[in-house]
Amino acid sequence: MHEFNWGLLIVVYLFLGGLSAGLFFAAGLANYLEVDGRPAYPRIAQVGAWLAPWPVALGSGLLILDLGNWYRFYKLFMHFRWESPMSIGSWLLTLFTVLAFVYAFAWLPEAGRQKLFSKVPPAWKLVHRLNVDLSAHRKTLAMIGFPLSIGVGIYTGVLLGAVSARPFWNTNLVAQMFLFSALSSGAAALLLVLALDKKRPADQRDLKFLVWMDVIFISLELFIILPYLIHGQLSVLAVKQALTLILGGPYTLVFWVFFLGLGLLVPLGIEISELAPSLLKGQPFHGDRRLALTASGLVLMGGFLLRYIFVYAGQLSSFRQAGVLQ
Amino acid sequence: MDIRKRRYALVIDSRKCINCKACAVACKAENEVAVGNTRNWINEDRQGEYPKLRIDFEPEQCHHCEHPSCVRVCPTGASWQRKDGIVLVAADDCIGCRYCMIACPYDARYFQEETGTVGKCTLCSHRIDKGNIPACVETCPSKVRVFGDLEDPTSRIHELLATRRYHVKEPQTGNGPQLYYLL
Repeated sequence: MHEFNWGLLIVVYLFLGGLSAGLFFAAGLANYLEVDGRPAYPRIAQVGAWLAPWPVALGSGLLILDLGNWYRFYKLFMHFRWESPMSIGSWLLTLFTVLAFVYAFAWLPEAGRQKLFSKVPPAWKLVHRLNVDLSAHRKTLAMIGFPLSIGVGIYTGVLLGAVSARPFWNTNLVAQMFLFSALSSGAAALLLVLALDKKRPADQRDLKFLVWMDVIFISLELFIILPYLIHGQLSVLAVKQALTLILGGPYTLVFWVFFLGLGLLVPLGIEISELAPSLLKGQPFHGDRRLALTASGLVLMGGFLLRYIFVYAGQLSSFRQAGVLQ
Repeated sequence: MDIRKRRYALVIDSRKCINCKACAVACKAENEVAVGNTRNWINEDRQGEYPKLRIDFEPEQCHHCEHPSCVRVCPTGASWQRKDGIVLVAADDCIGCRYCMIACPYDARYFQEETGTVGKCTLCSHRIDKGNIPACVETCPSKVRVFGDLEDPTSRIHELLATRRYHVKEPQTGNGPQLYYLL
């Protein structure tokens, strides 16, 4: 049996990195949209900003733990190698994580900020200097963060797509696939959190915005997966053979049933049926809480499975031995 | 001679290979490769059924590519290439991310659990630098392997590649492999 060099930790990291990118994108976008001169979705902007930095911080930690020598991770930042996607990615990830934390801080209300700093010993004057109100700079921070979040979303795909030795990955479609999956899982995570909050039921406008976003990103993802499969079939032999991993091979069931079916098409169907009355008949949008929970949970599961399938199946693909290592 | 004017490579005449695995043993002994890891190995290609059976043996190791993808993807520069073409891992800089192992089209690298770093064939650079030939080449009883400098017109491999037909493995990956298999 061929050994897997990258395992579950990498899968979880790729998922969490993408999730943060998606959360930041959705929150930043919500921060920019206005109706009659007032923020249209303040709650999404706030909750998204608060949630965004944590998954990527956790994921980066897992990434470091996965190294053979975790304490040598600092060496990633002693060099910049523009030809190595991992080198570019480490810098991008660090910049994005720092900015996401600053952005979350900018969304802390005055009372929360004072409470946070009251826990810092008064002697630490340097730390207390950071006690500044950044709320006026939210839009600037979001604008800087957009390209970084898109970069992190794309990078997770480029990391795999740039490996010319693995025909399952080596196409220019994996990066976009991972990006749209990341953006859709960000929207779905926000939908899940808002729908879970029983104390403060979600505003229907917020739900509609998130469902819309999710429908758009899932559709874009589908439009990438379809050409990925078609192009793979029409490509050189090694790519065609590598695709047997999901077309009859060991990852067929998880790809078609759990990822494409349950992770994409079912939530897409639920969300479109939720939107349909307001779109077609002009009725006010009325999102069902349980359906929102189901759809968002399934989208998150699909996002995870996409990474799982690609990380594992890709490592089995090869230019040798009929395209698939045993 | 100036190291920049050298380009080391191996020519392999696999029809002479008898699968005795002396090359693998010599490599392990010379380089103190841990049990469970191998820097070189012999591929077996079985065709047909007994009694009409045919087996081809084909030794393989790191191809010391002209454009090594393992070096390109390394985030710290631990994987590097000497000017004479030998691809090495600087163990002190290796963080153990294993990206190079995934990027190698020949699966020629291995992970060393004890040190948390990646290991591979060094073409016995420590021997070459003293004017010797790699251990696998020296030990081979049927003279399957020929080591030499492609830039040296008087070398044996230069002559072999000029007069015999040969192929390299998976040239479509663009790595420019430097193990030449005689046909």
